[in-house]
Parts: sequence; structure tokens; C-alpha cells
Amino acid sequence: MIIELKKFGTTLISRQTGREAFSALQAILRDIKEDEKIEIDFDGVLTFSPSWGDEFLTPLLNTYGERLTLKNTENPSVQATLEILQKIAGKKFDTIKG
Amino acid sequence: MDNQDKNLITIGEAAELLGVSIMTLRRWDESGRLLSVRDKPGGHRYYRKEDIDVFLNDLFQLAKDWAIYEKEIPEQYYCQNSGVFQARITKMETLMIQNKDANKLFSLLTSIAGEIGNNSYDHNLGQWPDIPGIFFAYDLNKKQIVLADRGVGILETLRKVKPELKDHAQALQTAFTEIISGREPEARGNGLKYVRSVIAGNPINLVFQTGDAKLILNGNSADLNIENVSENIRGCIALISF
Repeated sequence: MIIELKKFGTTLISRQTGREAFSALQAILRDIKEDEKIEIDFDGVLTFSPSWGDEFLTPLLNTYGERLTLKNTENPSVQATLEILQKIAGKKFDTIKG
Repeated sequence: MDNQDKNLITIGEAAELLGVSIMTLRRWDESGRLLSVRDKPGGHRYYRKEDIDVFLNDLFQLAKDWAIYEKEIPEQYYCQNSGVFQARITKMETLMIQNKDANKLFSLLTSIAGEIGNNSYDHNLGQWPDIPGIFFAYDLNKKQIVLADRGVGILETLRKVKPELKDHAQALQTAFTEIISGREPEARGNGLKYVRSVIAGNPINLVFQTGDAKLILNGNSADLNIENVSENIRGCIALISF
């Protein structure tokens, strides 16, 4: 399953909107198969921050672990955010080139 | 005095430019905060366009006036809730993308300003001592972004998870350096570490004050300079320059 983040907005910076996005995602994830991979696509995201990411990506990483992949993460604010989220969670995100 | 003078505007026009009421401008005139010019003693008040520009341009002073001295500020700089802040920071992001001095750094600048501003809302929701919301303003020509809040400050916020903190300087040090784990009662609190790590690798500077402690971070450096200052602020004030 591919989740396009730009469908949640292109300036993804607050906890509040991160939480809203995460709860909207639950409806989408209901149909996911047991071993299906989840690909989060950052294409089109202009600005990203740890507040938003911590509400959305961290719980996905904790639930889906290795089934979760991130792609198109070249944006500098995405890079910097992933770095700190990994430090806080003590786990690495699996990223692939777009 | 000839009010046809192109540089003079009426009090109503000045009020509109500044986003404050005419009553407020009369008070500011009497207190000396923003002086008018009169066509005759006791006559109508007029304002010099350049005085209005100078007043609006000193963003850091305006933020301090509001955060420390509780003075009124132009409405355009006040974001009562995070929805207003989100709209205005998105506008800043768009302007930065179009600006040759800012477009290389736009996503990092928007992201760290977003963290600082949203921190204010996240930590003060339901506890604002007087006025909710933040001051948020930017000047892309001067390459600066200013944020401030009248919240409870970093020390009071962090004492909930680290009661041994003694003063504002220690609180600042913790806020900018220590990762606070998910076991704490609140999941938030790592935004300022992010701000520091971005600044350490980019030509962006920060001055951040809470209580009587001021932190200075210089671009492309991980050094943390914290000093005590005489002017005390209950909440937080931040100046980002690039």
C-alpha cells in the first residue's frame, strides 16, 4: 500500500495536524493485508517537522516495523526530521530512493 | 500643516495599516510609544508614513513589548490559535520559495519556526496565564523571523518531567540538548533539540530567551551559549536570522 503524504498537506508541521492525519489514516489501513508493506511517499512535501512526524510516523514505525518503507525523502526538513525521530525512537526507518 | 502632504496619513489610515484601533493610537500618542503630528495645537492627528514603517519593522522590539511589557501589538502579528499560525507560516513558506535569499533554506526555516511556534501552543494549551497564542512575524529583506509567547516558560514546563531543574539557564540547556524519552507523561518536548541540530549544519542563527536566561546558537556550529540577562520574560521569545 502506498500512502502519499501530500494528500494530507504539503506543510506538515504541527502535532495537531499530525494527529488528525494519523486518525484519518486508520480508516485507510483497515483493509491492509497481514504481511502487506506500507510505503510512505514524501513526494510533493514542502516542509516537514518532528512534531508532525512524531504523531504520524513514529506510531507507524512502532506498529509495522520492517513492513514500513519511506521514499522520496530528499527534502532537507524531511532528512533532518527523520534523523531526530530515529534518535528518539531508537529505531531506524527503512528508506528507498524514489 | 498641509495634510495633502503625501507622507502624512490620517489616524484612520494609520490604524488600518497597523491593525489596531484609533483609540489605541491615541493612547500610544499620549504615552509616546508612537507619536502623531498635528495640523494645529489640539487639531487632528496625522502620522508620517515612515514612522509607521519604522514601527512595524522593528519586529523583535514589538515582540518584546508584547511578551514582556504586555503592550498591544498589530493584529497581523498575533496568532491566537495554532490554526492561524499554520495559515500564516504557510504564507511565509510560499514567499520564501519565491525569494532568492531564502529559497535554499525555506523548508528548514519553516520547519524550525514551526517547531518553536507549535511548542508554545503544545506546552501552554489550557494553561495560558493571560493571553493565549503567539507573536509571529518575519521580514525576508532583513532575513529574520520573530516568535514570542506569554506562556508559562520552559522551566515550569520541564519541571513536570525534571523536578530537579534549578533555574531558567538549566531549563534551556535541557530543552536544547537532552532527548526526553517517551516514558514521560507527555510525548512532546524534542522540538528544540531539532532546532539545534538544524542550526548546527546550516547558516541559520538563533537567539532564544525564557525567564532570565538567553541562549545564542550560531549557524554551522553546535556550540551552545547561555547567559543570564536582566530583562525577565515569563514565556519565550525567539529571533531566527539567516
